[in-house]
Amino acid sequence: MLKLHNLCRMYRTDEVETVALNNVNIEIQKGEFVAIMGPSGCGKSTLLNLIGMLDSPSSGQYIFNDEDISSYSEKQLSAVRKHHIGFIFQNFNLIEELTVAENIELALLYHNIPAAERKEKVLAVMDMVGVAHRGKHMPSQLSGGQQQRVAVARAVVGNQGLILADEPTGNLDSAHGQEVMEMLRSLNQQGSTIVMVTHSPAHADYANRTINLFDGAVVTQSVRAA
Amino acid sequence: MFKNYLITAWRNIIKNGIFSLINISGLALGLMSCILIMLFVREETGFDKWLTDSDRIVRMHSAYYNPDNPPFLTVRSAGNMMEAVRDYAKNEVEDGVRLIRFGASVRKDDSALAEQVTFVDGSFFNIFDLSFVHGSKESSFKKPNDLVITEETAIKYFGKTDVIGEVMTVCCVGPEPSTVAVSGVIENLPDASHLDLDMIVYIDPVIVENNSGLNTWTSVNVYTYFKMRPGISLEQFQQRLTYWIDNESPFVQMFEENFGELAADAKISDNMRHKLMYLEDLHLRAREDAGNMGDLSPMGDKTLIITFSIVAALILLIACINFMNLSTARVSHRAREVAMRKVLGASRGQVAVQFLGEAIVIVLISLILALALVELLLPLYNQALGRQLELSLFSDLKLVFALLGLGLLIGLGAGSYPAIFLSGFQPGHLLRSSKGAESKTSSSLRLILVVVQFATSITLVVCTAVIYAQTQYAQSVDVGYVSEDKLVLNIRGAGDNRQRLRHELLKLPEISSVVYSSESPTQDNENNNQFTLLDGEHVVGENPQVLLNYHDMGYGFFEAYKVKPLAGRLFSEDFGSDEIKQDSDGQNGQLSASVILNESALRKFGFTSPQQAIGKTLESGNYKGQALTIIGIVPDIYFRSIKFGVRPTAYTMNTNRLRVASLTFSTNNVAALMEKVESIWKQTVPMQPIELQFLDEMMKAQYAEESIQLKMFSVFSLLAIVIACLGLYGLASFTTERRTREIGIRKVMGASVKDIVALLIWQFSKPVIIANLIAWPISIYAMLIWLESFSYRIDILWLGPICLVVGGSLLLVAWATVGGNAAKVARANPIKALRQE
Repeated sequence: MLKLHNLCRMYRTDEVETVALNNVNIEIQKGEFVAIMGPSGCGKSTLLNLIGMLDSPSSGQYIFNDEDISSYSEKQLSAVRKHHIGFIFQNFNLIEELTVAENIELALLYHNIPAAERKEKVLAVMDMVGVAHRGKHMPSQLSGGQQQRVAVARAVVGNQGLILADEPTGNLDSAHGQEVMEMLRSLNQQGSTIVMVTHSPAHADYANRTINLFDGAVVTQSVRAA
Repeated sequence: MFKNYLITAWRNIIKNGIFSLINISGLALGLMSCILIMLFVREETGFDKWLTDSDRIVRMHSAYYNPDNPPFLTVRSAGNMMEAVRDYAKNEVEDGVRLIRFGASVRKDDSALAEQVTFVDGSFFNIFDLSFVHGSKESSFKKPNDLVITEETAIKYFGKTDVIGEVMTVCCVGPEPSTVAVSGVIENLPDASHLDLDMIVYIDPVIVENNSGLNTWTSVNVYTYFKMRPGISLEQFQQRLTYWIDNESPFVQMFEENFGELAADAKISDNMRHKLMYLEDLHLRAREDAGNMGDLSPMGDKTLIITFSIVAALILLIACINFMNLSTARVSHRAREVAMRKVLGASRGQVAVQFLGEAIVIVLISLILALALVELLLPLYNQALGRQLELSLFSDLKLVFALLGLGLLIGLGAGSYPAIFLSGFQPGHLLRSSKGAESKTSSSLRLILVVVQFATSITLVVCTAVIYAQTQYAQSVDVGYVSEDKLVLNIRGAGDNRQRLRHELLKLPEISSVVYSSESPTQDNENNNQFTLLDGEHVVGENPQVLLNYHDMGYGFFEAYKVKPLAGRLFSEDFGSDEIKQDSDGQNGQLSASVILNESALRKFGFTSPQQAIGKTLESGNYKGQALTIIGIVPDIYFRSIKFGVRPTAYTMNTNRLRVASLTFSTNNVAALMEKVESIWKQTVPMQPIELQFLDEMMKAQYAEESIQLKMFSVFSLLAIVIACLGLYGLASFTTERRTREIGIRKVMGASVKDIVALLIWQFSKPVIIANLIAWPISIYAMLIWLESFSYRIDILWLGPICLVVGGSLLLVAWATVGGNAAKVARANPIKALRQE
């Protein structure tokens, strides 16, 4: 599905140059569930952002669905992103001013889908994550677990094949965390490719493969037998 | 503690560079506009207040009511009135004085200059206690023809101010040039005086005797002032004056002779009003009583002063709203600071004081900036207004305190809302929450304030646009004659050399005609006279006696101005019978002459067609016994600004009254032509200053007042928009900053830059659109009232499109203001926004 070749990402301020990622080579197949682990500041989120095309590499090659997207323009990236990639964040990133249903619909709003069809899809996906009865509520009226389920719904409503989750359970208690992990697993089983950054070894165990990062480089990759 | 506040305030100003800049510059622009307008308003409202006993000096205005005509109003009065009233109302009046002003040529050695010379009674300095530089109140005006001049005039003629005893010659007022001797030099009068005096001459009683302009009960030519005794109110004096008119004045007998016994309930003062007005009110209120005639100096306009005061207040309001909006908008950035201060024990009051203090600091910085801007722009402003306004901070403590007070007031006013709002936060909630302290109420209040700002700016701009359209329209109305390529030459001083002058001028190839008249277009001195329609000895017609305006014309006047008769003919030398006849002593004899009427006069007499009037006979009050045959009817032409409309007019041909020449020319080199005309003037009319003007410039000058108003309106409404847009920019950049996370999420979801920009722009279009809906009816209403004062005005249907265009343009301006920032934010990388929690 995607292939990173000698990928580097450097951050520059006036005086300091920080290497966030250094010659990372990763290949992820369609249908995989990959967990990325490592200590704070090792480049996990940078890597995820690069995969999600929210950030561009300083050097290296990124092949997505057999196409080299390293040289894509912002506009092209945006198009690829909206059709193929769904995001889940640690802090949910729901828009406070919109209802649950509207937040989920947001992911379809920029897809040129007629309103009736959007509504149908939103209802279906809300049902799937178990927030169907909360459609008209504002995010602030929901518990953390429910908010994250809404975020998951938003990530998959557009049939995106790749789901990127940045510590999806980081702000949740263990029960709710488990719930979300179960949900991701079931999505994976239905065919979604999932890349997840996590601190929790227990949650990493849900994945088929764990990539350990340290100081911006891939240290180990462990594949679990299915 | 205080130091800590100062440090925080200062660091906040520095840290939030762009916001502070917008805050300070918006407020500075607002204060600048306000100060500029207030300087103007202060001068306009302070006219003549500097004169000693100004609260005891009044002027007498006259009004004559005629059942069939609009009333004749003037700020002047009849020459015999002053003495009679002064002697009658001894208990009310200390003294009185008459002023009469003539354009004269003043000669000294071999130079001759055109001057406005004011002739006054010897009591002048009893009323107007002006300060002398040389001589004194007692030593001046000992005898007729004594002259008092201002320092400026003294320096102009003599190069020094100590010129008592020096002699000059004043021409063209009396029958002979009179020699006048300087008996005193006074300080220059401030601009803020309606008197506008340079040369004051004690009237020669001989001239008074010979000059019917002074020795009269009915012809209103002089400005009459009285100084009331201390403790007497204007009402008391007015009552006494009216009683005299009705019961003991010569008018009682005159009325009986002319109209027979008055009806029991009728009073003379109903037909002939003499109204007193305080000196201090003259500049702004004389217009009420002035009718179509002028005053000693250009009259002020009370409505204009009120309008501009409102404009100043509105601009300040817009600037203050900016300040409030930006301060509350930035609340979330200050929330943690407030919370920490509260946790550490600060009371709500202390926090409020801190924020008020910060507001006042910002206002004071803006004030200093505004004062610097005012100093910088004042010369330009004065030039545009034709004034000499000054910002004298060092000598004018009252002004300094007023400005500081204003600054404090704005600081408190604009700072109070943020202060109350910020200090009311619950610290626990603030520290825990990662969200801003922004509440729904404060953000909707901000929107309301933005609506107010834009409604105000749009109203100002619509009004400006309507004033512009009306001014353009007024100048484009067909006046009924050709005013291009005309020079107007004052020939009053030419005397017997008139014919030679004309002859010489016509020799110039550029000049195709030289015609004479009593007034040129734009120069109308409302001359009114009773005209009676006669058949032999008998008065005839349904409306036989009519008050008409009259002008005298030389041969060829109408032809030169391309005015064609509707019926009959124009004055022509071929008939030789058109001129008003004078006998050997210059009296008008029992003869016959011709008259031409305009259409309005035709209607006034009740004629139904121009042809009907031709050949009928009129008698004029001026030329008793002389039969005036109506030889022609001309269309109505606007002799003056269209503001005054067209009056029923009779044109006669009294060669004694021809005072100006209109020169029709065609040339590409006007400067050279002017020189040629001047040199011919110098050869034929020696020792007379030339007064030569372009007619189209004179016509433009009629609209000078409107054009100044228009300039002021344009500049200040532009400033209002700039200030409002500054605020909008600040608010937009703030809001986009607040919405970055949302924008980030939307982008991750696939929103394009275009989507985001549209989203943000729409957010700010709403208040502007609402503002339009509020501003349109208000400005349309205001402009309908304003337009009512014009007899010819733009079609009111134009107001709609003007509103639409203004509203649309302002929306575009708002978009441009918001768009740049929105695009920047929309292009930003969303991960930054999403990670900032």
